[in-house]
Amino acid sequence: MNGIHDLGGMHGLGPVNPESDEPVFHAEWERRMFAVLMATFASGIYNVDEFRHAIENMAPAEYLATSYYEHWLHSLEQVMIDKGQFNRSELEAAWSNVTAGEAA
Amino acid sequence: MPAIPVDMVIPIYTGGASARVDADVAPKFKAGDGVVARNLNPSGHTRLPRYLRGKSGTIEKDHGVFGLPDTMAHGGGETPQHVYCVRFSAREVWGASASPRDSYYVDMWDDYLDPA
Amino acid sequence: MADHDHTEPPSDTALRVKALESLLLEKGLVEADTLDALIQLYEHNIGPQNGAKVVARAWSDPDYKARLLADATPAIAELGFGGVQGEDMVVVENTSEVHNLLVCTLCSCYPWPVLGLPPVWYKAAPYRARAVSEPRAVLKEFGVEIRDDVEVRVWDSTAELRYMVLPERPAGTEGLGEDELAALVTRDSMIGVALVEGA
Repeated sequence: MNGIHDLGGMHGLGPVNPESDEPVFHAEWERRMFAVLMATFASGIYNVDEFRHAIENMAPAEYLATSYYEHWLHSLEQVMIDKGQFNRSELEAAWSNVTAGEAA
Repeated sequence: MPAIPVDMVIPIYTGGASARVDADVAPKFKAGDGVVARNLNPSGHTRLPRYLRGKSGTIEKDHGVFGLPDTMAHGGGETPQHVYCVRFSAREVWGASASPRDSYYVDMWDDYLDPA
Repeated sequence: MADHDHTEPPSDTALRVKALESLLLEKGLVEADTLDALIQLYEHNIGPQNGAKVVARAWSDPDYKARLLADATPAIAELGFGGVQGEDMVVVENTSEVHNLLVCTLCSCYPWPVLGLPPVWYKAAPYRARAVSEPRAVLKEFGVEIRDDVEVRVWDSTAELRYMVLPERPAGTEGLGEDELAALVTRDSMIGVALVEGA
């Protein structure tokens, strides 16, 4: 698709801005996101092309405004639903549970 | 599909699983052939970037047979075919103001290419 | 009766990931100790120190270098490295005439077994857009200036081949052993955004 991910040659994105001595993971949630993606991928529930395409289908503004592991999060939620591993209601229930757990 | 058990982590991740497909498919091109990247604009998944569509290049190497992402992303099966490393000159890609010397080496599937 | 619109996810990404992880565990799709082992493997074991050893071996042993350039995957495996996102490797050599630069414009493809997980800048929009349209300007931002008579080759990893740059061996390192050579080789030099400095 002619999506936002197809970035080769785009202008206006600014400097590369490398971080010096960058850690492998910037937050605990990134570790967890990496791990759940890797574990489900190796199970063969979905393939890499399906995973990539789900990222490509993100809203363009959201794609540019979010980080790499947030892209993974968006994609894995979608791909799991597409593959019938859980449904949107179950995901929303999980969201309610963690939010309630935080508030408690 | 069962969850990956912990004792399989090292074997699976340090072993990997090549994307090569064991299919007896003839290549359409060989090293040295002139090719043109097709002007494909699918609404689904593809690995042919916009900046190379319609550009002329040369086959550098045949990498062998792999599945096609354009079909694999959509439950359409592997459509196994050859993947090549294709060389494009900078001026071909970006026009006369680009470097006269620099180049791009990009992997492309048979279905992305026409003979020049 | 409440009319439930699409419920929004938690705005805190950490909570959203926690929810997903809980659901996956509950459904038996992932196991907790597997998750911990994956983090350990990629945070602490796999990294650019692997690629540095490959480079040092290639600099020290011309026959190894020839094998590496001809068919990288088994040559890299000789040193005990390989696996996910490195099953089909290609190593490209920097010389006095050619400087190689790696990018994945479409996503973030990167040779994990030899370099570990990619840095944020490699996966972010500015590098992916500009490494192809203005590679020399990007190199300059990294402090690398390539002479006009040297060809810059940009490799865009569109397929499942994974690339690594074999940087030029710096002058004055002739007496060094492999371990000392490996210590000079940076991750950035194996992507092509840095040169290897001498000892």
